[in-house]
Amino acid sequence: MIKLALPAGDLRSPLAQLLVSCGLRVEGYGRGSRAYRLPVEGREDVVVRVFREKDIPIQIALGNYDLGVCNLAWLTEMQVRFPRQPVVALRGMGVGQCGIFAAGTDGAGDGLAHLGSMGLVRLASEYPNLAETFAMAARLPAYRVQAVWGAAEAYPPEDADLAIVAAAEEATLRAQGLRPLFCLLDSSAWLIANADALASKDLSAVLGPLMAGAPVPGPAGGLRLPPPVPPDKRAAQPLRERSSVRLAVPDGHQQPNAADALRVAGLVFDGYDESRCVRRPVSSLVGLEVKVIRPHDMPQLVASGEMDLAITGRDCLMNHLYRFPSSPVAEVVDLRRGQFNLSAVVSEELPAASIGEALDSWRSQQKAVLRVAAELPDVADHYARSRHFWRYQVIPIAGASEGFVPEDADLLIEGTETGKTLAENRLKAIDLLFGSTTCVIARKDVALHGRRRRVFDEVVAALRRSVRTVETV
Amino acid sequence: MDDSMRCRGMRDILPDEMRRFRRVEQAFREVCLGWGYEEVRTPTIEHLHLFTSTGTLSPQMLGRVYSFLDWDGWSGERVVLRPESTIPAVRLYVQEMRDRKAAKLFYVQNVFHFAQGDESREEWQCGVELIGDTQPVGDVELILMGCEVLQRLGLQPELRLSAPGILRVILARAGLEMSEQLALYDRILDGDVGALDEVQERLSDAGGSLRALLSSEGEGVPYLNNLRAALFPAVPELARPLDELTAVAEVLNETGCPYRISPARVRNFEYYTGPAFHFQVDGKTVGGGGRYDALISLIGGGGTPASGFALYLDLIAGLLPVDRAEELPSVGVRSGSGKPDDLAAAFRLASALRNAGRSVDVAAGREAAVSWQVEVVAGGFLLNRDGAAPRRLPSVEEVVRVITEAAGD
Repeated sequence: MIKLALPAGDLRSPLAQLLVSCGLRVEGYGRGSRAYRLPVEGREDVVVRVFREKDIPIQIALGNYDLGVCNLAWLTEMQVRFPRQPVVALRGMGVGQCGIFAAGTDGAGDGLAHLGSMGLVRLASEYPNLAETFAMAARLPAYRVQAVWGAAEAYPPEDADLAIVAAAEEATLRAQGLRPLFCLLDSSAWLIANADALASKDLSAVLGPLMAGAPVPGPAGGLRLPPPVPPDKRAAQPLRERSSVRLAVPDGHQQPNAADALRVAGLVFDGYDESRCVRRPVSSLVGLEVKVIRPHDMPQLVASGEMDLAITGRDCLMNHLYRFPSSPVAEVVDLRRGQFNLSAVVSEELPAASIGEALDSWRSQQKAVLRVAAELPDVADHYARSRHFWRYQVIPIAGASEGFVPEDADLLIEGTETGKTLAENRLKAIDLLFGSTTCVIARKDVALHGRRRRVFDEVVAALRRSVRTVETV
Repeated sequence: MDDSMRCRGMRDILPDEMRRFRRVEQAFREVCLGWGYEEVRTPTIEHLHLFTSTGTLSPQMLGRVYSFLDWDGWSGERVVLRPESTIPAVRLYVQEMRDRKAAKLFYVQNVFHFAQGDESREEWQCGVELIGDTQPVGDVELILMGCEVLQRLGLQPELRLSAPGILRVILARAGLEMSEQLALYDRILDGDVGALDEVQERLSDAGGSLRALLSSEGEGVPYLNNLRAALFPAVPELARPLDELTAVAEVLNETGCPYRISPARVRNFEYYTGPAFHFQVDGKTVGGGGRYDALISLIGGGGTPASGFALYLDLIAGLLPVDRAEELPSVGVRSGSGKPDDLAAAFRLASALRNAGRSVDVAAGREAAVSWQVEVVAGGFLLNRDGAAPRRLPSVEEVVRVITEAAGD
């Protein structure tokens, strides 16, 4: 069986057409079927699994899949940190072209030279390994990389000095208020392979058609790194003092819950409600700055003091605290919305009703390594340690999680509400990690004075009132 | 043994090798103490930013550090498993000793860097740092110390001198932007001497081939004079690094310490500014060091000059012959009954014998043969020795006395 990993998201449609032109019609792929495992018409020797794009190099490296298609940037992101992973980039597919740019904001300077005069350079990126490699090559005297789940382009200038972001072209960045300073990579969708499979398994039935297409004028040159930035301590800029309170509100599945709580609390933001959001909504409350970012990224921004308050999920907070136990972030209000359980999930086929029985079952199967897939890897890691798993590996995943068990993982750490989705995917929950809800977080040691203190307290009090309103409904 | 049980690139040090390891350590410590140096040890984990600035490590070295977010790394700032020891030692000096005008420090500690394949990713270093304005005497002192350690171990070191300052002034003279200079210097540090050809194109008035001149080796002050004659007209700034190197070379000549000069032999460390040196044994580089006058200022400690060197402990230990196990005269003490009071008597006797300079084996397990066997019996001890009749002795003191007298202590 040849196992092919294909990306979800924007690449589906152009890639589906390309596969058809190569004689591989993956049923339901182009139409965005919700199924994760798809058959290939007339090819019983090929199975296709749909992943979030950034998970594909990991799955290929693990040897779970023989071939995959993903943007070269995701492969490079993995390889700069883990150069020994057995993954081979075979061919550009001619779709999904984009560049990976280091971008700042207008007024920060045209090139990179100004970075040498900054006491601390803050980089935000969905590609933290590329950001780290960039910072090291530029020999930045001091830097911090904020690994974000998304929306890195929204970070400069308040929350980062540079964003390392993907963009179709420089104009896209300019339209987002960013100034491209350096292009690290010309990227596009690439066919990649597991090196061991390539060396020992006959993949020609899929490899042949995919490699036989007309030569694609693809990106060349690989990763480009900046020259060292000469240090310039004389021009070091002091950190600016803020006069406003900064609140982070979530996009994605937490947005309706947060918007509802804000509405009930009487906090009105122009550009943010249950159904729409702009990156920087305008608050009616003077002295309150609002920004929309991913809920996963909020605890770290609050910990580092970039944000004073954030509305996120307890699951995201716990993931952060398991990773950084000394973090000063704490939950200050439970908004009691968006409730779900974070559970340990296994295949329905596993003869176990509890994690203890599951471990017994895996032990009797002599499983040398337990594979734990999770969107929140630090929660999963903490769970595995606390339940005394033997040798285990946590497979970080970006989504489409239900399809992982049992083929690609033994256990899934997953958010569950009614259990309906689990049942549809022939899965079952065998342990409860904790219940999660939408909550407000802040630093435990927050030290605000004057107007900032008043605004902070007013926002927290208003959000507390929104909880009482929910309770009395 | 399933090799996957041990992390890749990590190795166990077994007893034979450990004895050689300790011999190197001992020789190194004795020499350092004899020269008036004080021992320190720095933490295994340091902030990554100490190593990333220009003027610290080469990009290739930086690309192989073990860096990660610590448990309290919520700020996004990474830490690193110490990839080398000079920068941590300088950090220690800046943080703990900066009120001292000079500091003479030494340490034995491990460093970590990623390596391809099964090459070792953990190495042990014997390092020395001489902080303070001591040039050129300090450089010579360090060189002589390194040679002395190796000679004490029965090795014949060969010395190579170089001068990173030569490359730096040539790159500056070539009219390159500062970032281009840094990038080219890093390429040379990472072993790409072909980068000199690019400099040659921009420095045509230097004549001949820079690469040939700088990548060759020569002997003594005459060779330095030749370098000066060939390069000085085009690069008058070479006077300083050549003078510094000549000052060290002249003293070494007088002390009778042989050396060769390889001017462009610089690797891995950006922080060397003045004369640098390497120790070789049988063609293997077993240590090296040099002057790093800008590093303390870079770490935030003012403009104190300094120099230092490190010996590569694992490599040197591997060059030594396998030692016979150093064993004290040994005694086996057993309790035939296994009763608590008999075992207590066995341990009391063992303690007294150890105080008398014996090695005592109570819990059976050591393979080495013992010279004496003592059994705890009712009312005393039964002493056995090969070829002699057993003797019953009434007390711990009697057993110690008989064994000590028989050994002629």
